[in-house]
Amino acid sequence: MTTTAPETGADPTLLRVRDLTVGFTTAQGPVDVVENLDFDLERGGALGIVGESGSGKSMTSLAIMGLLPKGARRSGSIEFAGTELTGLPERGMRAVRGDRIGMIFQDPLSSLNPYYTVGTQIAEAYRSHRKGVTRRQARTVAIEAMERVHIRDAARRVDHYPHQFSGGMRQRVMIAMTLSMEPELIIADEPTTALDVTVQAQILDLLAEIRAETGAGLILITHDLAVVSEVTDHIVVLRDGDLVEAGPVERIFTDPQEEYTRMLLDAVPRIDDEIGLLRTTSAAEEGR
Amino acid sequence: MTFTPTDLEVEGAAGGETAGESLPASPPASGRRLVRTFLRDRAAVACCVYILLVIVVALAAPLLVKISGWGPYEFDQSAVDPDLGGIPLGTAGGISAEHWFGVEPGNGRDIFARIVYGARVSMTIALLATVLTSVLGVVFGLIAGYFGGRVDMIVSRVMEFLMAFPALIFMIAVLSALPAENRQLLLVVVISFFGWPYLARIVRGQTMSIKEREFVESARASGASSAQIIFKEILPNLTSTIIVMTTLAVPGYVGTEAGLSFLGVGVVPPTPSWGQMIAGSVPWYAVDPAYFLFPGACLFLLVLSFTVLGDRVKKIAESGEGRV
Amino acid sequence: MSRFLINRVLGMAVVLFLVCLFTFVVFFVLSPDPAVQICGKNCTPEAIDQIRANLGLDQPFWTQFWTFLSGLFAGRTYGTGANAIECAAPCLGYSFQTSQPVTDMIVQRLPVSATVAIGAAVLWLLAGVSAGLVSAVREGRFADRFVTGLTLTGMSIPNYVLALSLQFLLVVTLGWLPFPQAVPFADDPVRWFLNFLMPWIVLAIGAAAVYTRLTRANVIDTLQENYVRTARAKGLRPDLVWRRHALRPALTPIVTIFGMDFANLLGGALITETVFGLNGIGKLAADSITKNDQPVIMGVTLLAAFLVVVGNMVVDLTYTAIDPRVRVGSAK
Repeated sequence: MTTTAPETGADPTLLRVRDLTVGFTTAQGPVDVVENLDFDLERGGALGIVGESGSGKSMTSLAIMGLLPKGARRSGSIEFAGTELTGLPERGMRAVRGDRIGMIFQDPLSSLNPYYTVGTQIAEAYRSHRKGVTRRQARTVAIEAMERVHIRDAARRVDHYPHQFSGGMRQRVMIAMTLSMEPELIIADEPTTALDVTVQAQILDLLAEIRAETGAGLILITHDLAVVSEVTDHIVVLRDGDLVEAGPVERIFTDPQEEYTRMLLDAVPRIDDEIGLLRTTSAAEEGR
Repeated sequence: MTFTPTDLEVEGAAGGETAGESLPASPPASGRRLVRTFLRDRAAVACCVYILLVIVVALAAPLLVKISGWGPYEFDQSAVDPDLGGIPLGTAGGISAEHWFGVEPGNGRDIFARIVYGARVSMTIALLATVLTSVLGVVFGLIAGYFGGRVDMIVSRVMEFLMAFPALIFMIAVLSALPAENRQLLLVVVISFFGWPYLARIVRGQTMSIKEREFVESARASGASSAQIIFKEILPNLTSTIIVMTTLAVPGYVGTEAGLSFLGVGVVPPTPSWGQMIAGSVPWYAVDPAYFLFPGACLFLLVLSFTVLGDRVKKIAESGEGRV
Repeated sequence: MSRFLINRVLGMAVVLFLVCLFTFVVFFVLSPDPAVQICGKNCTPEAIDQIRANLGLDQPFWTQFWTFLSGLFAGRTYGTGANAIECAAPCLGYSFQTSQPVTDMIVQRLPVSATVAIGAAVLWLLAGVSAGLVSAVREGRFADRFVTGLTLTGMSIPNYVLALSLQFLLVVTLGWLPFPQAVPFADDPVRWFLNFLMPWIVLAIGAAAVYTRLTRANVIDTLQENYVRTARAKGLRPDLVWRRHALRPALTPIVTIFGMDFANLLGGALITETVFGLNGIGKLAADSITKNDQPVIMGVTLLAAFLVVVGNMVVDLTYTAIDPRVRVGSAK
């Protein structure tokens, strides 16, 4: 399945995944959690990977990052901006992680280290990828990144610890951390699931804004079709590690080809109404 | 030195309730499967065999002594050499067909008989202390966790106080001041007195979370009394926690009893106990190592068996929770 | 923060007071009449009454307890007239068997106990943490299982059995170490070191086993944390991921337990000091038990309780300094 970009010229494809299979060996024998998955993402494009829990969507993202848990097998091809990631040694992969592909995780509290200030955690990523950056410079970058994700009073908040932030603010910190590196691709794995309903829409708006500003590609992984329709332009539907259906958002929503996709769609009735509602009710919340 | 399992205290900072949460709060689904897992573990089986052996030996002590021919209090001056200060005659501490494990230097008492009778003391005290500690720990933990409020505050303060106390030195002080009668009972009481808070704290935490669960709510709604809820609804859910904690505690009690007897405030002579035998062997260890090797090895193996067993039971309980 | 400190100190004072009271009650009720002991063999009932009056043993319980407490802070005088004995603050009592104030006896023994405790602590901390790290890194492999086996053994061997076995093996059989004998550090540093080596090892092994298990469990748990995954996703070098994101959170709780165990040990390692004939506080306690010298036993008990309670507080304060969640939480 391919979703090609309209323009021609230099390779417009940012990420090309072919025949990706991720498996584990369990007591009951080998189990594949992702099977022969193919998809493409053009530069600046936004792709939603949708599926229920256990569909293999998170494993797909970890496979791209080369962060699969111990004991996992990975096969197939992951080509990022012309570089084959599966063949890359750990050192080369490390240069890609964070710097060129940024990742945002589901639970912002547990994803931030409670022992360090958010500023330290943003700056440490920046300093590890940019040689010869002083502490002071990295701190300035951290404050700028926090301002870009609309954290008020960033110069002071930069010295606070994760537990001093609200859930939505923590996710903004995570996004700031990713953003500070100016990555070409951002992978967001269920970025709004752990948040209050009112805050979810704001974070989605922020992701859309960032994408528009920086031109970075976005892969949004979620179980919630409503979330995908908000931000992305293409959708891949997964079930039990298999690709069910893929295509542009409008087509999937108006004319789903598979029974399973229809079922997922039925689970989010009146999508447009709901999102409109979310946006209005939450406008006041995060602005504090 | 006693090193209490303080690792249970550490994690409180992060997640409200302490590590008790990580122990299973529901009975494992398949008892038979757990037993099979357990039987496949050779180390655990070996430990069980040794513990059972010690129990059998303790129970059959009078019979065994009759077979071996020497009682634990009989002196055999013909087995020691009075010219060498009472060193046992013959090799390795006087081991012979007559005295299977040799004899004590000086007075020639049969070591086999004293080991066999010493097993009685070790097992009785350790097991009774375990029972008493568990009863106290479960009762106070349930009461504090279930009723909360002022009751909880009082019980918790008492627990904190007892845990802050230098238990070993205080046990020694108390025991040294107490009269020598009924020493075994006193040991049980003193060990349990300082031991129950460690179990109670975990039972309290689990009770607090279980009492919020739906089945307890529904029992309460249908008019069950507090006693019925505690014993019929909550207690059965704590079974595996109690089993794990208790198994982990036994080796500590075996060691404490032996240590106190070693220091001379435990079991009163001439009643034999392993710790006391080792204490008696200190002046002789250079010339008659067998005298401390026999009780030392028996004691070490017993503590080791209980430790390994506790370790395995805990692992099985945890995996039983996670994967069934 | 300062309010937190005040609360903590007040709480500590209450616990210490209760410890004093509890200990005093136990000895008041249980101990044999010290007057009879002091009086000796050729004793008359009148002489005993005289001694009781001199020592204030004829006073009611609360008066005696008050005298004891004020002795701790202001010192006290035993008896009157020419035979009066001064006991300067902090007076933990007076041993009539050795004719010395208990405080002096304890202070004399403190250096040995401190040497034993510090050496053992360094040893078990190094051994425990490094073995725990190895075990965690090689989880499930041979090294891990080997270390786990060792820790179970180390936890199970009673220290007097270990002490005697080591002494028999290293001193008697192999002759690698000299026979333990008190030698001042200045006279012969090497001999001094060799002398303390076995006590250090004996005390360290049990604790090292516990610390190994703790370190292993904490490191394995921490490596599962989402923030470690975040650190990897940021592209940090593995050594930075380990040092900053795995080790610091994993090892911080160990500080708590270390403080407690160390304080506990400072109050005297009864068994080890006795077996190796080291003149520390532990041996003092053990000897006093044999001689039934109650004031000394009580003094050592109180000292041990004091150390544990103070150690507890130091640990709490340290924790607020190294764990930001606690620090800010208490400031609110």
